[in-house]
Amino acid sequence: MNELIPLMVIVPMIAALLLSAFSKFDKVIKVLAFVVAFCLPIIPLVSNYGLHYFGGYQPVLEPITNMTYHPAITYSFNFMQQIFIAIIGLLTFLVIFIYLTKYKKVSGPYLFLVFMGTAAVTALILTDDIFNMFVFFEILALAQVGIVAASSIDYSYEMALKYMILGSIGSPIMLLGIGFLLALTGSVNITDIVLAIRSGIVNFKSPVFLISLGLIFFGWLYASGLPPFHTIKSGIYSKAEPHGAALLQSFTVISMISIVLILFRVYSVLPIFEVLIVLFSVLAMILGVSLALTQTDFRRMIGFLAVGELGFIGLGIGLGTQFSITAGLFQALNEIVITALLFIGFGAIVNATNEVDTRKLGGLLAYHPKVSIMLLIGGLAMAGVPPLSGFQSKLMLVQASLSCGYPELSILAIMVSIATFVVFVKTFYSMFLRPKPHDLDVVTKDVPRAMIFAMAVLLIIVIAFGLFPDVVTNGISQYVGGMIH
Amino acid sequence: MSQLAVLFTSVALVVIGLYAAIFVDNIIKKIIGISFIEEGANLFIVGIGYKSGGIVPILAPNMDVSWFTANASYPLPYGLVLTSIVIGASTLAVMLALVMVLYRRYGTLSTKVMLADTSKQEEYDE
Repeated sequence: MNELIPLMVIVPMIAALLLSAFSKFDKVIKVLAFVVAFCLPIIPLVSNYGLHYFGGYQPVLEPITNMTYHPAITYSFNFMQQIFIAIIGLLTFLVIFIYLTKYKKVSGPYLFLVFMGTAAVTALILTDDIFNMFVFFEILALAQVGIVAASSIDYSYEMALKYMILGSIGSPIMLLGIGFLLALTGSVNITDIVLAIRSGIVNFKSPVFLISLGLIFFGWLYASGLPPFHTIKSGIYSKAEPHGAALLQSFTVISMISIVLILFRVYSVLPIFEVLIVLFSVLAMILGVSLALTQTDFRRMIGFLAVGELGFIGLGIGLGTQFSITAGLFQALNEIVITALLFIGFGAIVNATNEVDTRKLGGLLAYHPKVSIMLLIGGLAMAGVPPLSGFQSKLMLVQASLSCGYPELSILAIMVSIATFVVFVKTFYSMFLRPKPHDLDVVTKDVPRAMIFAMAVLLIIVIAFGLFPDVVTNGISQYVGGMIH
Repeated sequence: MSQLAVLFTSVALVVIGLYAAIFVDNIIKKIIGISFIEEGANLFIVGIGYKSGGIVPILAPNMDVSWFTANASYPLPYGLVLTSIVIGASTLAVMLALVMVLYRRYGTLSTKVMLADTSKQEEYDE
């Protein structure tokens, strides 16, 4: 039992409640938010690996079947969870830092939503209980809607409502799937469910098992923003504040990998499962990058590129080998960092110019050289240019596709990377390199230092992961090996 | 038989709810449809725990444990549904709050009018 594991969820959750309760005391909530956000990346780094059984209820040996079952919610903490929770904690800290320095009067409810979202994704990646996963999936959806609605961008309420309606259809459908799984196995603990399937107690060829896959898979598509939900997902990114969008995309990535890893453990016995994952991932890659090519609003452009990158993650997990899943998870980690860097960087440009249309921008390299260079490196990392982190994970994915006997998927991955490069270079040229339009006012406004700081921190991670990928991939690979075998 | 009735009712609730959520224009009716889907899912899970002729799953002090395990209905689904109802209520509250803001802005409950600009953007994307 490790008592620090639940603190990773409880600390941001209690902070969220306190920030909401004391929202009238501006200085108090500023200090509290900063201190808690600072602690978030530290807690997973000082915590030991292991399991936590809520209420202290240890697994029990069932005398009739001679199998152990878990009577309580279980949290599992390993290197994979540690690195993702630390990165999410760091990103939350940077977002809170930007927010606190940007506004003189801060909003307690907004901070509540940010911390609640962080608590929800942390729980999603830790939990070994499929119903607990559903509960935090719902809490996360509410936090995401709140973060979008709280922005001062036009039509943010409309987009929030639209996202909520779709989510309210997707969530009960996922719940039905969980219900079917519960009916088959009598448990909501994922380890118990997997054991029941592998030991033959549950017939995985039964139609009920297939129906449950279909229903939970639908919920996963919604949570991940994969087709047919890709437009709404990029829509909510564009209607959130840039630092909020940076956090929202990381929530999406974490919920995607958390749910798909659960699905993988339960349904990988079905051959159709991996086909489905690869099919929707390929669709996301193609649609994401093609739609990004047509955008003139750079927030939507990054949103669609982020959807395309999700396809790479799904591809790695769908191929189903230890190496490919490691590559997919490494790609997920890189996507969180790189996309956050891009959202914050482009947010700095919005701050300086009040313009999001790339056709109306230009010549910004002379005014914001630091931002432009950091954005350029971030964009190149997303496109998979060596020696940056995106290159390492995409190279692994290409190798994984080849070793699985799917050279066509490798070619597709390379083509999508090239298209991502083209999209980014086109946008970068429009905004930074071509002559400045006469009506563009950029002289009077500076980019907030907090944004430059956040970008610099994320850039260091991008370069470090690019130069030393083994530091991350070895640990993830061990986790994946344990999960598969 | 009772379990079958529960199953049919929950399927009916989900289908009616899906129809309303997808095809009805009025946002309040859409939200009622969404609630139908949620309640259909909840009813289905309650049905899983049902045992014909079973007893309430509370172990009294003088009760024989083996008799209790053989006759009590399965309590886990009820616990899950309670949580699910609370989540559904929270979601409903947030949705209605958003609708109130948008109704004040547009003066209508038609989703075609309320969400017209976001839909145009999506059509452009597609």
